[in-house]
Amino acid sequence: MSLAESIEQLPEQKHASYSFAFIDEGAKREIRRQTLKAVAIPGYQVPFGSRDMPVARGWGTGGLQLTLSLIGPDDMLKVIDQGSDDSVNAVNIRKFIERVTSVNTTTDTEKASVIQTRHRIPEEHLKDGQILIFQVPIPEPLRDVEPSERETRRMHAEADYSRMWLFLYEDIVKYNQITIGSRYPVMVGGRYIMDPSPIPRWDIPRLHMGDALFLFGAGREKRIYAIPPHTTVEPLEFDDHRFNVEDFTDKVCMRCGSENTYLDELVDDATGKRIYTCSDTAYCEKAARQKGLLNG
Amino acid sequence: MLIKNPILTATNLTKRYGPGCAKCLEQTGPDYGRNQCPVCGTVIACAGVDLAIHPQEVLGVVGESGSGKSTVIKMLHFDIDADDGHVGLHTGKIETDNRVRNQNVLKFSSFGKRQIRNAVMGIVYQNPHLGLRMNISAGGNIAERLLMAGWRNVGDMRKRSAMLLDKTEVPISRMDEAPRNFSGGMQQRVQIAKALSNEPVLLLLDEVTTGLDVSVQARVLDLIRKLQQEMDVATLVVSHDLGVIRMLTTRTMVMKNGRVVEAGLTDQILEDPQHPYTQLLVSSALH
Repeated sequence: MSLAESIEQLPEQKHASYSFAFIDEGAKREIRRQTLKAVAIPGYQVPFGSRDMPVARGWGTGGLQLTLSLIGPDDMLKVIDQGSDDSVNAVNIRKFIERVTSVNTTTDTEKASVIQTRHRIPEEHLKDGQILIFQVPIPEPLRDVEPSERETRRMHAEADYSRMWLFLYEDIVKYNQITIGSRYPVMVGGRYIMDPSPIPRWDIPRLHMGDALFLFGAGREKRIYAIPPHTTVEPLEFDDHRFNVEDFTDKVCMRCGSENTYLDELVDDATGKRIYTCSDTAYCEKAARQKGLLNG
Repeated sequence: MLIKNPILTATNLTKRYGPGCAKCLEQTGPDYGRNQCPVCGTVIACAGVDLAIHPQEVLGVVGESGSGKSTVIKMLHFDIDADDGHVGLHTGKIETDNRVRNQNVLKFSSFGKRQIRNAVMGIVYQNPHLGLRMNISAGGNIAERLLMAGWRNVGDMRKRSAMLLDKTEVPISRMDEAPRNFSGGMQQRVQIAKALSNEPVLLLLDEVTTGLDVSVQARVLDLIRKLQQEMDVATLVVSHDLGVIRMLTTRTMVMKNGRVVEAGLTDQILEDPQHPYTQLLVSSALH
């Protein structure tokens, strides 16, 4: 079935005055063109004409525009916010996309073809054909070491990254470790240093040589960048100070019992006790169900 | 004595600020006592400068303010783009030499120039603010140069930084302190340590002692002479101070109004100056 035919067979369009997926076709085409360029130059930030969305800039408009420009009627959509399908940001964006496209949605990572995410990568391995779209607040990894945009662009163009390395070196001299928590800078395809968006360090190794396409959209900053499948993504590290992921030794999820997932820490106000649950709620539920810990 | 190829050969180095016209070069220079073209108003910072630096030698460039000597050193370090000229390198570092063989490095992309600079050059500026990051530790400043050259081991970089700071007589106990807390002489010594960190083939010194008081000047000069001999690095010294030129250099070029007016052995130039301007310069010296 062609795209035009499948659009015609959509259930009754509630918002006939808008194009399919809200954004007008010309704008979609522009976003797709910049996305193709981003895929062709892994890790390079491509400027794009960020459109006005019915969500404030800084609330996921970059990711939203990518999703809307790529999604088709046959897609299966999943939206998460820090691993959760049920947080306000995720629910609102999902509802909005459902409303303007009538696509089917899911919480199951395996079934989704397009996943929009804020600050997490789902625990389950992403397969060939899936697209993960990140919402990015600050696309420029060098912003902390050089405030001038013109200068950071020159630094990227000439692969002049000594100042980023110097920043890490000074961190080690001062604190004997690299103190970056999230937004850990990575080298993509051996060429560009890239901001992976504020995902935890835990997720960084899963960007390396992935099977899925990773797209990054920064609506406020008007940038798109990408990691195509099977691209090297290496966190910056020194020979004698290696990159580390968060340490969850001896900690398990209290809901599903998983031992190898990224965990959220919860403190019980009454008792002061610390408990841990999976940050990826859909995965947690699936794992719990498989272990017979949940009914229904 | 074996005559070696010069490590750097520059011909016809020219830099102008302004539109430029056909009369620029013939209407300026020491003969007219000006470097601004009367026809189009273009300032000729320097024109037609030829020089060669041989391995291990120290070449001096002397002249008054505005004579174009700093422009020459900045063009050689690619800090400013030359309008005309040819610079060839023969550094003895195989990787660099393979890249630059028989080519004009002034025509390289800024990426290519940076690679050459990182591999074979070191520079010390008159103003430490140009050469150092004042908010980053002294050790970090030296490490930056090493990071540019591809070092990726913190322990090794700290060892090398400590060794260089020790050589330049900066207390190692202050290695993790930022240079903004240092005295002028100490900042200059950190700059020297940074310039030497990647074992350069060519060291560029741009008015290194200007602005320091005399006793500190003497110590910095002593240090430079000692390190220069120890490391056998070819050096270009730019200064308006004949004392510095006398102490450090073996050959000297005298510049005025953007042109070289005299060149030769330093002793010869200081004892028997030929050009009227050089004679004036030598007789104006305070001792």
